[in-house]
This record gives sequence, structure tokens and C-alpha cells, in this order.
Amino acid sequence: MQPANAPVWRRLLRAALALPPAYAGLLVLLLLAAALRPQLLSAMLLPLIARQAAPLGLAVIGQSLVMRARSIDLSSGGVIVAVSYLLTSGYFEVSDATAMGLCVALGLVVGVVNGVLIVQTRASSMIVTLAVSMILTGIVVALSQFRAPGDAPEFLRELARLRVGGVPLPVLVWLGALVPAALLLRYSAYGRSLDAVGSNPQAAALSGLPHLRVVFAGHVASALVSVLCGFILVGFVGKGSITLGQDLALNSLAAAILGGVNFGSGRGGMAGPAVAAFMLTFLFNFLTSLGLGEPGRLMLQGAIIAAAALVYSRRR
Amino acid sequence: MLQAARTMPDTLAHPAAADARPDLIVVQGVSKRFGSTAALQDVSLRGRAGSIHAITGENGAGKSTLMKLLAGVHQPDAGEIRMAGQRLQLRSPAAARAAGISTVFQELTVLPNLTVAENLVLGREPRRAGLLDHAAIHAEAQAVLSRIGITLDPQRSGASLTVGEQQLVEIAKGVSTDAQVFIFDEPTAPLNRAEVDKLEQLLHALKAQDKLVFYISHRLDEIFRLCDTVSVLKDGRWVATEPIGALTSERLITLMVGRELQALFPPRASTPPGVAALDVRSLTPLAGGASARLQLRRGEIVGLGGLEGQGQREIVRALAGALPPAACDVQRLGRDGQPQAYDPRQGVAHVVALGIGLVPEDRKLEGLYLDLPIADNIWLGLLRGLGLVRRAPRQRAVVTDLAKQLQLRAGSLTQDVGDLSGGNQQKVMIGRWLAAGVDTLLVEQPTRGVDVGAKAEIYGLLRAFVAEGGAVLALSSDLPELIGLCDRILVVRGGRVVGDVPAAEATEEGLLALALVDAPASAPGVPA
Amino acid sequence: MTALRSGIRRTTLALPVVLFALLALAAPGFLAPQNLANIIGQITALLIVSLGQMLVALVAGIDLSVGSVMSLAGSLVATQADPLLGIGLALLLGLLVGVVNGLGVAVAGIHPLIMTLATATFLQGLAYLVLPIPGGEVPASLRSLVNGTLWGVPQPLLWCALCAGAVALLLHHTRLGLHLFAVGAQARSAQLNGVPVVAVTVSAYVACSLLAVVAGIYLAARVASGDPTMGASFGLESVTAVALGGVQLTGGVGSVLGVVTGALSLGLMTNGINLFGISPFLRGALTGVLLLAAVCAQRRKVVGL
Repeated sequence: MQPANAPVWRRLLRAALALPPAYAGLLVLLLLAAALRPQLLSAMLLPLIARQAAPLGLAVIGQSLVMRARSIDLSSGGVIVAVSYLLTSGYFEVSDATAMGLCVALGLVVGVVNGVLIVQTRASSMIVTLAVSMILTGIVVALSQFRAPGDAPEFLRELARLRVGGVPLPVLVWLGALVPAALLLRYSAYGRSLDAVGSNPQAAALSGLPHLRVVFAGHVASALVSVLCGFILVGFVGKGSITLGQDLALNSLAAAILGGVNFGSGRGGMAGPAVAAFMLTFLFNFLTSLGLGEPGRLMLQGAIIAAAALVYSRRR
Repeated sequence: MLQAARTMPDTLAHPAAADARPDLIVVQGVSKRFGSTAALQDVSLRGRAGSIHAITGENGAGKSTLMKLLAGVHQPDAGEIRMAGQRLQLRSPAAARAAGISTVFQELTVLPNLTVAENLVLGREPRRAGLLDHAAIHAEAQAVLSRIGITLDPQRSGASLTVGEQQLVEIAKGVSTDAQVFIFDEPTAPLNRAEVDKLEQLLHALKAQDKLVFYISHRLDEIFRLCDTVSVLKDGRWVATEPIGALTSERLITLMVGRELQALFPPRASTPPGVAALDVRSLTPLAGGASARLQLRRGEIVGLGGLEGQGQREIVRALAGALPPAACDVQRLGRDGQPQAYDPRQGVAHVVALGIGLVPEDRKLEGLYLDLPIADNIWLGLLRGLGLVRRAPRQRAVVTDLAKQLQLRAGSLTQDVGDLSGGNQQKVMIGRWLAAGVDTLLVEQPTRGVDVGAKAEIYGLLRAFVAEGGAVLALSSDLPELIGLCDRILVVRGGRVVGDVPAAEATEEGLLALALVDAPASAPGVPA
Repeated sequence: MTALRSGIRRTTLALPVVLFALLALAAPGFLAPQNLANIIGQITALLIVSLGQMLVALVAGIDLSVGSVMSLAGSLVATQADPLLGIGLALLLGLLVGVVNGLGVAVAGIHPLIMTLATATFLQGLAYLVLPIPGGEVPASLRSLVNGTLWGVPQPLLWCALCAGAVALLLHHTRLGLHLFAVGAQARSAQLNGVPVVAVTVSAYVACSLLAVVAGIYLAARVASGDPTMGASFGLESVTAVALGGVQLTGGVGSVLGVVTGALSLGLMTNGINLFGISPFLRGALTGVLLLAAVCAQRRKVVGL
């Protein structure tokens, strides 16, 4: 496409323009913050913002895997609320470690249920995952009337507070999931099959690629990731809550799209969505510091999703 | 090959004074591109009122594209279209209809959830006081159907119609408007004998009413029987427009093809074929349907021919595992001659793992990853049989070597496949299977939408493939291709293999005779 | 002629009948006139918004923004002293939202789930702006339109009948109705027949938003005040109601009768929960189960979104 002897700067410019919107967005945001609210860029606040972004960063990893396979997972809200309740309500008289194990088992069950319904009955994944979230939330809220959620396990509260070499532990957990995910995407048969399945599911099926297993695996992974997000969020808040993580699903969708992942394609790798997760968290902090409340945040979120979807539909 | 002497049809249908009629449609210097493919280049032609005007040419000549421009489906990149002297801007099918151009498309547009009557009036529904006039809809539908002599209950649903009946409804739709220009794109493909006769009566009636009918077909017998003028397109360019009286079918074919056919095909295998790669003792793709029997041996290219829609596709898809057959008794021998556990009912992944690959007819829909680069499209074949948890194999060397072998014409291997020409896209699909290392290829329409140069290269690839011990089953509706490319040709009729002809002895007439049930002894013309 | 594309099967009609019989037999006080009148009052909003959802489903779309539209419309009439101004603003809003959704889906090619999710989020923020906490007061003249009876018929029933009748008229007796079915079945074929696919799609989304506005105004008038999250559950509930009513989410099949049975089934279930004393918080969970059952029962070719 580009002749080999095009000037270097032009090729660099092209490459830069092909980057997902998250990079440019972050750059603009950082510049604006430097001008208007420089304290956000301080050595004190920046790591805190990164820490706050960790759950979203994790959620967007799972969301990327399903979106690339032309599916979506909006059940994270329900999973997180269920995790929060399991860990803090003391319903079962078990140790913290066992409770966390139960949460992982729950995540596995939810992922399998989502996957099976989506792959076998071919129901719309958005509706299935939203319905599953509804069911989980409904059950937890009903149970909360009898037995209110309590305090978070000490282990998780510590996890949220600790730093290693100045870097908050949740951020390390995020990176600890991000790097293997990126490697998986690039070097494993699963990751490369994902490219094919997203680009043309019919061609992938006729080529003998395990199309359905790719979608299924994505949903199981996404549900397990939601459990991890739940652990971290519960540690942040310090106690159980029935409103925990409710906006994580939509935010992960917005971050994925901004990070270059669209339904059936993923040009941003895993780095794009990670940058987008940080960018969105920074943006919300920035807006709050400017005095913009919940209404403004929601309106902006809606506008971002629509704009990003518009940009990607034109590119295709 | 195409040497049978044709007798000139009777000229009674073509009065000599036909030239006196005015030009109704003038197409001037029209061009159209789709991506990097030039579908039409600087095409000009004229159609008169009171004429049945054939538009013909090979696959990929641009016939359908030209008619779609007239039908308002696409807009030309350059040039203009004039009707009765007025320049036309046909921005949509509705605009074309409003301008007086009525089209019967090759793809059926009957809606399954509407009745026949509703389908007939769709887009121009009669109204009374702003609301639908159901009585008028029914009456109009009844009137149109009886005018054309079709006995169909207007209350039947679109979903309940057979393909032939759907086509009749399409034709009725086309004819029932007050158009001046009618376009028929391959209308007779799904019709039986009686329906074809009815259509021909209709066309003659239109001509008598001074209408202009554009008739797209490459069935020469129909063209000679029906039409008074023929325009030939080749590779997107206009070749000639002649009155039918000035043509013989030989000359027409030469205009359409215009080259030495022999140079296109590589020499057939000189060594006898090896063991059977696929021994199909009986295969029933559809429950209650016919069963087929065939053998595919290593070192040979076997063609699957016959009229379109006779079950060839079902046989191929069943063997590939894409369409689990109702019943099958098949055996497969690997390269080493050992039998393999082959059961097409287990699906595509199982069949692919055994080394059998399907090259589907519709590359864009079912074969290629259009927004991925060429390198990825080819390399993904290497994932065959790996499962999900393994490490993916390295890419670079395999792809570069294959690209050379395939003689790919592309700027760079990082280019998106969607930007390539049809021929190169087809090569990429085959390249993926070569990378996967399969030894049996099931190919649907090996060179559909592929230009001449690439055709020759693809034939060379397939021949080289079988020379190394592979086997190819090629489904094709192009008789010269079957005869030139294959070693043996199986003619399919009604889901059964009714003929097994060595290609060296095959003639197009002979194959056609086998394909038709009630053909007269000498079947003239080259079928689709 | 239109039974062809109604989507109604025996199970569709059987569900509300079975539920009714079950509740009549087992639930205390179910058949009391007050309870039955209550049911009608409660499902009116759901029915109206589900009629809109059906129109969008007919063109193979979905509208998840109806809940936010309802909340916003209700908040608008609760904060405007002049009922005509409130209604006018709300209707204008419905028109705008419908046009934006429709254009996004039909012209920009954005998937309806994404597009309407985006507008839903945006509008929810707007609702909080108009009415930060539940409150406001719906003008008395408006309230009188939804409570009580008119000519002996409970007013909610009249609202239901009016909206259902209007949509039925649209579907079976207008060009647009026929075009909706055509576009939903095969948009490309419809286009080749001269149907203006983009205009038809936008019309479906506009009609849906306008019906959501009506439902929102009704609900606010019934409760006599506004609540910025009033419509939150109606998005998924309306999809459940239409899916239960035999409407194919893949387009081209649906009917008013089906939507009525779907809304009725949901309403009976809610009523049953109240009468049996089950925790009302489980209602969301039960709706989720019904939604899953309804969508899994529909056939689709595509896997995923």
C-alpha cells in the first residue's frame, strides 16, 4: 500500500493515526489536566488513579476476548455483586480462602452457563449476559434482606492497600493478568483462531477451526476475570455492597471500543484497551475534579460509546 | 471442442425493418469499480424500443453489473445513461422503477412473510384514504397473475413457494408495472419447460407493445430463439452489438471468449491415478433424497458437472462435513494407503483433521478473512488440527514460500485480502489449504469471478497438487473448464452420478446430453 | 392474511391462560375485582412500551433505551407545571431519540444493542439532570387521565386499548406496517423492491420512543410524581414481553395480540409474587429467568451478539 520509499515521518504519521482513539484521548487528557488540574498528575494521585483503574483494566481483558469473537459479556455486574455477597455475608461458615474458592467456582458456573446458552441455543449474548446479571443481582438483593453483607476479608483489604516498590498491588495484579493475556493472544493457537473467528465465523468453521469453542472459552475467561474484579473491588470498599461494580460492564465495553477492539476485530492488541481503561478512569476523576457529577458522567459515557462505535463502523 | 456446426435459426421472428425504431436506452462510456476490481470499463451500447436485446458474455464479463446500474442498485463511477434522450440519475431501485425500468433480478426477492399478493404490490401498494386497500391489492394481484397466465393463489405465503414459483412471481412483478424497459437476469435457470414457454410468450408480447427487453443469459439456444439483437461483454468491456441475423453461434462464442482455449489448461496427468483417496460407495446428503456413488483417486482431478442445482453442491458439502449427510458409506485412505476413520457426520473439524479441505464457492462470505492480511489468511491453515492450547507455529517462511508458489500479485503480504482481485483471492484460499498440508481438495467453482490469466495459474496449481499425490474433486458449471482441467468428469442429475466420462473423450454436447433428462437427440448450444 | 406473520403459537396463548388459572386456583384474593383492576393498571405501562419494542423487533432491531426514555419523560412532566408543555417536551424528546437511534442503526450501521445502550446511558444522565431525586409533582389534570374510570371502564384499560388499537392499525392497514415486515424479513430484497429501508427503520425507532414517552407519562401520572430511575427495568422487561409474545427478535414476525399476551404473562407473574408473599426483589431474578427461556427458545443462525 505505502510505497517503500515514502518518507519516514509520513509512515510514522500513518502508524500513529491508525492507533486506537485511546492513545490520542489519553494524550489530550493529560495535557488538559496539566493545564487545569495539575495535582492529578502528582506522584501521590497518579498511582491511586492507576489503582482505581485496575478492576476496569481487568474487566476489559475479558471483554476483549469475547468481543473479538463477535460476542459480548455484560454479566460482570451480577457476578461482582454475588462475589461481594459470598465473601462478606458469612452465609457459609467457612474460611476466607474457601469463600474465595467458592467465588471462583461461581465464576466458572456463570461462564459455562453463559457460554452454553450462547453457543448451543445461539441466543443473543447481550441479552443472555444481561439476564444472567439480572438473576444474580435479584437473588443477592433478596438474600440481603435477611442477612446483610458484612465486612470484607482482611486479606483483600490488605491487597487493596499494599504497595510494592511504590506500585499499588492491584495494579500489579492487573499487569499480572495483562501480560499473559497479551502473550496468549499473540502466540497461542487460541489467540490466532480468535482473529479468524472474529473476522469471518463461517470461513473459520469451514476451515475446521474450533469456532464454537473459541466463543465458549472467551465467556468462561470473562466470567473468571469478573470474579477477580470482584475481589479487588471488595477490597477497595472494605465491605460488601449490592451496588458494587454496576457500571463496570458498560465501562468495559466503552474501554474496549476506545482501545481498538470492535466486534470481530482487535487492532489494538491488549495494550490499547489497557490504555483506554486508564484513560477512562483518569477522565472520570478529571471530570469530578471539575465539578461534573453523576449526570454528566453518564451522558459522557453514552456519548463516548456512540462516538467510538460510529468511528469503527465507518472504518469497516 | 466447440466445433459443432450451428444452423442459423429461422429469421421469422426478426423483421428486417427493425432498425427503424428509436433508441430507448443509451449507455455511454459507463465505468464501475468495486474496490480494486474494474467491473465495467467504458461500456457503451444502445437498446431500441420493441426489441429483445441479449446481453451476454462469460462469467465475470460485467453483465450483471451493467444491469444493476440500470436497475438503480449501483451508480456508475463515470459515464451516463440516457432514456428517450433524457439523462437518468438512478440513485435507488425505487428511482429506476419510477423512471420506467423494471428489473427481474437473478437473486429472488420474494419475501417469505408476505403473501403472493402483497409481494406483487410491494413498493407501490394501492391505498384508500391513507390506509392499505386490501381489496384492491387482492384484485390487482389476481388480475396480474391471470393476465400472465400463472395459476397461483394470491393468498399463499412467499415461504411456501417453490423456487420456480418464486421466479414466476418475480416475473409477474416485473411485467405488471407500466415500465418501458424490462431487464431479465438469467430468468430461466429455475424454470421447467412449461414455465419457460410461458416466459417466452410474455417476452414476445412485451416486444409487440414496443417495450425494450434486456435479456441477460449465456444460454445460446435461448438467445438465438428469442432475441433480435445481441451485445457481448468481455472482462468488463464492450465487445460488439450485432443484430442476431448477422451472427452464428460460432461467431458469438468467439466474441465471448476470444482466445485460444487450449493454452488455458495444463496437460492432464500422464501417469495412471493411484489408490482411492475417497471411496464413496453411497452418499445420501438429504433425507429421502437420491444417493450418489463415486471414487476419487490420488493423482487425478475429477470434475462434478451437470446442470446447476442437481445436487452437486450437496454432495461436496456432505463430503466436507459441512452438511451432515442423512446416510453415508464412505471410506478414506490416507497417503500411506491405510484406511482412516472418516465420518462426514462428525463435522468439518473432523474432516479437516483427516486432510480434506473445502474451497467454497462464495469466497467473500465463506472463505476469506477479508479484513485480515494475506499472510494471516494463508498462515491460519497451519492451525489445522492443533486445538486451542498449543503454541501457534511460526509464520514468515511458510507464507513467503507459498506466496511465490501461488504467483500472488500483491503489493505486500500485509495487505488486506479484501483489496485483492478475484483471482488472487482464490489463490489465497487454495494457499491456506496448501499451508494446512491437506491431500484432498473439494473445490466449488474453482474460477468463479476470476480473470483469464489467473484461471490458467489456478489450473496449474491444482494440477501440481495432484501430481504430488493429492486428489481434487472440482464442482463446476463451466463445461469447457471441466473438459480442460479434469481427468474424469462425473455428470450429476437428480443427486445421482449418471455418467463417468474420461475428459479426453468428452464433448460439451455429450456432457449436456447426459445432464438433461428429456433433451432432443442433438442438443444445440452451450449451456450455462 | 396477517396470521402468516403473527408468530403466535399455542404456547404463546397458553402461557397467560395457564398462569391465570394457576393463580385463580392457588393465590388468595386473586379474583377480587380490585386485584384484577390492579393488574391492568400495572401492566399498562409495560404493554405500551412493549408495543414499541415490537415495532423495532419487527425490523430486526432492539431498543434498550426505552427505560431511560420513560424515566426522562416522567421526570419532564413531573417538573413542568403546565401539562401541555411537559407532554410537548417529552414527545419532542421521543422524536429526537428515535431519529438518533434509527439513523445510528440504519445509516451508520452501528449494532442496535450498542446504539441504544449508548443512548440509554446518555438519557439516564439527562434524567438525573432534570430530576436529581424522586419528587416533583405531576399536574392534577394529567393525573385524572389515568386514575378512575371513564364511562364505566377503568382508564388504564382505555390507554391500553388506544395504544394497542393504533399499533394494530399501523401494522395491518398501512404501507409502513407492510414495509416493517418486509424490511425485517430481508432488508436487501425489500430494498430491491423499492421499499425505503432507511426511512422505515428510522420510523420504527421513532414510533418506539414515542410509545415509551407515552408509557413514561402514564406511569408518572399514576404515581403522581417523578423518579429518574422509574423506567430502569422496562428495557429488558419489554424485550421479555415481546419475546414471550411470539415476536421474533430476528425480524419480520410479530403481532399486537402476541405482545398483549406477553405483557399479560409478566403482569400475572408479578401479581402472583405479591399475592404469594415472595420477596419482591426476586421479581427481577424471575424476569431474568423468563427472558432467558424466551430468547433461548427462538431460533437464530448467528452465534454471539
